[in-house]
Amino acid sequence: MSSFKRPADPALCPRDPATGEALEPKLQPGYYAGFSTLSQSPFWDATTRGVVEQRVEHPPERKWFSEEAWKFWTVVFAHVVPQTDRVPERQIPIVAVLDKRLAKNQTVGYRYADMPHDRTAYELAAKAIDREAEHRFGGGFLLLPYRQRDEVLEAIHDGKPEAAQEIWAEMSVHRFWEMLTTDAIEAYYAHPWAWDEIGFGGPAYPRAYTRLERGEPEPWEVAEQRYEWAAPSSAVSDKVKSTTEDDAGQSHHGSGGTH
Amino acid sequence: MPILGAFKAPKNDNHMVGPLQTIHAPMKRFREDEEVDYLIVGVGSAGGVLLQRLARAGFKVLGMEAGPFWDTERDWVSDESGSHKLYWTEPRVTGGTDPLALGANNSGQGVGGGSVHWAAFTPRLHPSDFEVYTRDGVGADWPIDYADLLPYYEQLELEMPVSGPAYYPWGYPHGYPYGPHPMGGVGNALIKGCTALGIPVSIGGPVAILAGSHGDRPHCIYRGFCIQGCKVGAKASTLVTHVPDALRSGAEIRDRCMVSRIELGKDGRACGVHYFDREGSENFQRAKAVIVAGYAIESPRLLLNSATKGHEHGLANSSGTVGKYLMAQAGNVVLGRFDQPVRMYKAPPAHALTEEFYETNPKNDFARGFAIQTVGPLPIAFGKQMVAARKAWGWGLRREMMDYNHWASFGLLGEILPWADNTVTLSDDQDRFGLRVAHVTFNLHDNDKKLIAAAKKKTEEVMWAAGATTVVQESRYAHLVGGCRMGSDPATSVVDKFGRTHDVANLFVMDGSVFPTQGSANPGLTIQALAARTADYLISQGDRVFTSDDRDHAEPKIRRGLAPPETWGKGVPRLK
Repeated sequence: MSSFKRPADPALCPRDPATGEALEPKLQPGYYAGFSTLSQSPFWDATTRGVVEQRVEHPPERKWFSEEAWKFWTVVFAHVVPQTDRVPERQIPIVAVLDKRLAKNQTVGYRYADMPHDRTAYELAAKAIDREAEHRFGGGFLLLPYRQRDEVLEAIHDGKPEAAQEIWAEMSVHRFWEMLTTDAIEAYYAHPWAWDEIGFGGPAYPRAYTRLERGEPEPWEVAEQRYEWAAPSSAVSDKVKSTTEDDAGQSHHGSGGTH
Repeated sequence: MPILGAFKAPKNDNHMVGPLQTIHAPMKRFREDEEVDYLIVGVGSAGGVLLQRLARAGFKVLGMEAGPFWDTERDWVSDESGSHKLYWTEPRVTGGTDPLALGANNSGQGVGGGSVHWAAFTPRLHPSDFEVYTRDGVGADWPIDYADLLPYYEQLELEMPVSGPAYYPWGYPHGYPYGPHPMGGVGNALIKGCTALGIPVSIGGPVAILAGSHGDRPHCIYRGFCIQGCKVGAKASTLVTHVPDALRSGAEIRDRCMVSRIELGKDGRACGVHYFDREGSENFQRAKAVIVAGYAIESPRLLLNSATKGHEHGLANSSGTVGKYLMAQAGNVVLGRFDQPVRMYKAPPAHALTEEFYETNPKNDFARGFAIQTVGPLPIAFGKQMVAARKAWGWGLRREMMDYNHWASFGLLGEILPWADNTVTLSDDQDRFGLRVAHVTFNLHDNDKKLIAAAKKKTEEVMWAAGATTVVQESRYAHLVGGCRMGSDPATSVVDKFGRTHDVANLFVMDGSVFPTQGSANPGLTIQALAARTADYLISQGDRVFTSDDRDHAEPKIRRGLAPPETWGKGVPRLK
């Protein structure tokens, strides 16, 4: 886990938009300072408490990726879900969760017909990302500065890689991006530190939620305390789409079950 | 650290379904050379009801379930990531022009099946759904009509039971016997948006979630983890509503057993199933009749994998329709950001809806319609929606997620018509048993695309009217039905109106796969109502199903006395 323990370069940290100064990494970023889901774990059922505490205390060890691949994907995930606003000891393991999934060959229960098996997809994608880096900036992905790495990944995000066309012919670039972000989200937002960050109350059995309307906190939750922040100047990812238009019909859809 | 307020962990010989209800293990075990009366493949929404009814009527019934028999206190968690075991995660392939997400999106495993992870919306189909072809010239007609299913809707609404408004205005207007739920933030937004636009809205149901405690089931505690399995026992699943009574009535559930093939005897009748047991050994269980209840993908897959001499293209597939006319509903999620916090993780995701746009409207350029419902994604599901709907990644994703508590989300539920090219076929990929896995193909057609466009537009209007300051949407699909559709004509359907295959007299399919069309109602209630009706039919036939190829198509009489005890005939009478 040593790669998570390095203190962040201030140039890669979010900034105060008024002063442009790097914000000091926090134990708990987000707008709910003082809120801790883990502090509520005595009120959870024993099975839930065991599963969540295991996640915090015993992140999985490397079993599937080579050391090299582990390092590669660690860097990729530092762009997909950057964590330089967190102090190193409060950064959330992502590649470890993916490694465990691939080691056990666990899937979401289906494979798109235009995708290889998940293990193969990650192998192919590592090659394609490196090739994209070489094509755009003349060096392997890990050798590039942060900004250029962000731009390489943005090309994949946009579905417009220019290199490694023979790899992307075997594997849908959109589907790969969906899998990569899903793996990142499944790891990061499963962690109680991320729940604290976004103000999600977490497990509530057998205690219950009682204040259902108007978004008001339970006595043990915390009200929102917003602050302004800007993404690091070397990042290109702080932008979102605000329209409801589909890019391509229904086909690039989410995969979560909601109803 | 002591656990503050939690219930005691289960003891060895007590199997817990919910914090209060226990089943005393071990259960009955039939010998493999013992011929059971009914062998049911899959103990989910339909299988659970069939098992209970047939056992209570005195048949020797065995349910084979690929997944585990959950002890909810021991196995389930209030945690998204820890709940993947509830979903069908064995391999499948999905393709076509508009491929369906499977797994957590629509496929359960384990006793209770999909009813363990449904959101538990329980609207009925409308009378028009049973004659879509007659009315609109598209889709298909059902071989039954609304009146045939009505008593079973009413019965299952009591058995689950369903909470909802005292008057429900759409389709065949009716009321719900158990009162509605209070509103969460998303329901509030739906009420506000609909009311501003003059659209009627159903508040606090219909959902198969207890608004008040009921026997050995506590009421809802609004913790929001419905689709991760209701550890409270307030949300109905056949695991808590029907399986306990089935076991008390002498049924066996053989869990973690994957049925690989249905065997025909020399007389051309089903004589049992081959299956892989929990140790992975292959076995054969004899049965006088087999009911396939594996849902819209695994049921066709099993019939196709059971191809044999005389049934080269799959069992019960002389019509060539096994695996065809698969349907999902459009399930686009429209998300709105509000200035004030919403905290949509509180309250069940399912708690308010409108069916005002359900029926064909001659002013539209498409047939049939849609519903708008509350949904309540938890952080992981919401994160994926931010990727799909806002193209968020990196710092943009972190920023959107920090605003989680400001978002509300509505799900539209749009009717997609049955098309012959939406199919379940066999892939060359194999699962860990060496069985060919399902290849699902899904393509939207013109009517579907127009309907989805209109439904999105209307749902977005409601979200704006609710006061959202940003509105985005994620395209997706919900539910699965079809693949073994019922019909009167053996040339164009797989089963008759009771789920009996046209080709093999003692082989039945009874689950969501038998739907000829789907409306824009969540399918769970209709699946269970159909299963209860088929159970009454089988009981009315006595031993004839086991010995004769004759087909009696007389409607059975409803046998309310076969309901699990204490689930009906009580409470305050309401006007209908």
